[in-house]
Amino acid sequence: MKNSTFEQALDELMAPPSAAVTARAQAALRRRLDAAAPPLWYDRVPDTPVGPLWVAVSERGLAAVHYGADAGAWLAALQRRGFGAPARSAEHTARWRTDVLAYLRGETRRLPAQVDWRGVSVFQREVLEAAHRIPRGRVTTYRQLAEQLGRPKAARAVGQALRRNPVPIVMPCHRVVAADGDLRGYLGKHGVATKAWLLRLEGAGV
Amino acid sequence: MTLPTFEMLVDAYSAELFAYLVRILREAGDAQDCLQEAYLRAYRAYPRLDARANVRAWLYRIATNLAFTQLRRRRREADWQVRADEHQAAADASTAGRAIRRLVLARLAAAVERLPAQQRAALVLRRYQGLSYGEVAAALGGTEAAARANVYQALQKLREEFGDEELDF
Repeated sequence: MKNSTFEQALDELMAPPSAAVTARAQAALRRRLDAAAPPLWYDRVPDTPVGPLWVAVSERGLAAVHYGADAGAWLAALQRRGFGAPARSAEHTARWRTDVLAYLRGETRRLPAQVDWRGVSVFQREVLEAAHRIPRGRVTTYRQLAEQLGRPKAARAVGQALRRNPVPIVMPCHRVVAADGDLRGYLGKHGVATKAWLLRLEGAGV
Repeated sequence: MTLPTFEMLVDAYSAELFAYLVRILREAGDAQDCLQEAYLRAYRAYPRLDARANVRAWLYRIATNLAFTQLRRRRREADWQVRADEHQAAADASTAGRAIRRLVLARLAAAVERLPAQQRAALVLRRYQGLSYGEVAAALGGTEAAARANVYQALQKLREEFGDEELDF
């Protein structure tokens, strides 16, 4: 008798908080987490047809792709974009490493477009998403892209936005060329050669 | 095996962790602060977490460490909870029966407050948060046997103190 009274009292003392109080605490938690730097995982994709690559992913998707052997400066730049301290992880990056490699080997013609745009300006994102709408195997010009965005005089700004593309290959800035057909520029050590290679892979006549 | 996304951890465990912190800290404001701090720490540490880890126990461990720190801070401010509860008991004394009930609960709360932190947390984790003894051990550090002993001793002590009360509940 005494025992069950004790248990009853203990249960009452340990009653859970009300649903309303809990919901308030959860809402405050989500606000706080949204303001915090999200975790970032990265890893190398060795031996691709365009040389070594690095990919970085967050909870929300692909954060960055980097051409080159060294990741140091690239990772520092990602922290400036607002990501948390990066951790190397084969596991968390596995899907993207596989997908990008398969694309570059011509084993698949599609890449998922799930990108974490944190730290990317609205204009740059619009430009890159417009580039993503260019069908595989086709190219467009800086000016045409600027016109599509309703800013016909912004061809140069469009070029800048593409040049600083944080997710090359996945957001295909390589499909944008100069009006005279010149490939103009591209990222990485082999720049324009890589761009030409990607366009040939996709079947664009360049 | 792959770890769930962090957002899934918020969906899955934030409500029960909040209840846990309320039960340990007995104050919703402190529990809310602790919950945020726990998730922020988890967020920063998540990329380095072993994929085989029990994430639920891991979150409880982080929350427990923060709650203990808060309890130590409070203890320096001298029997904070006892006074608060007894104050409330007096204020709520609308009927004699209710006042007695309040007083009993306040005494029990004080007894819980006096438990060693490990025992107190083990009791709440096992009995109210539904963790297995293995998970309690993972959350508090130490062995499963120690977790069992902690729960047992906590209940033992509380029962003794409660038994001294010659009050009908």
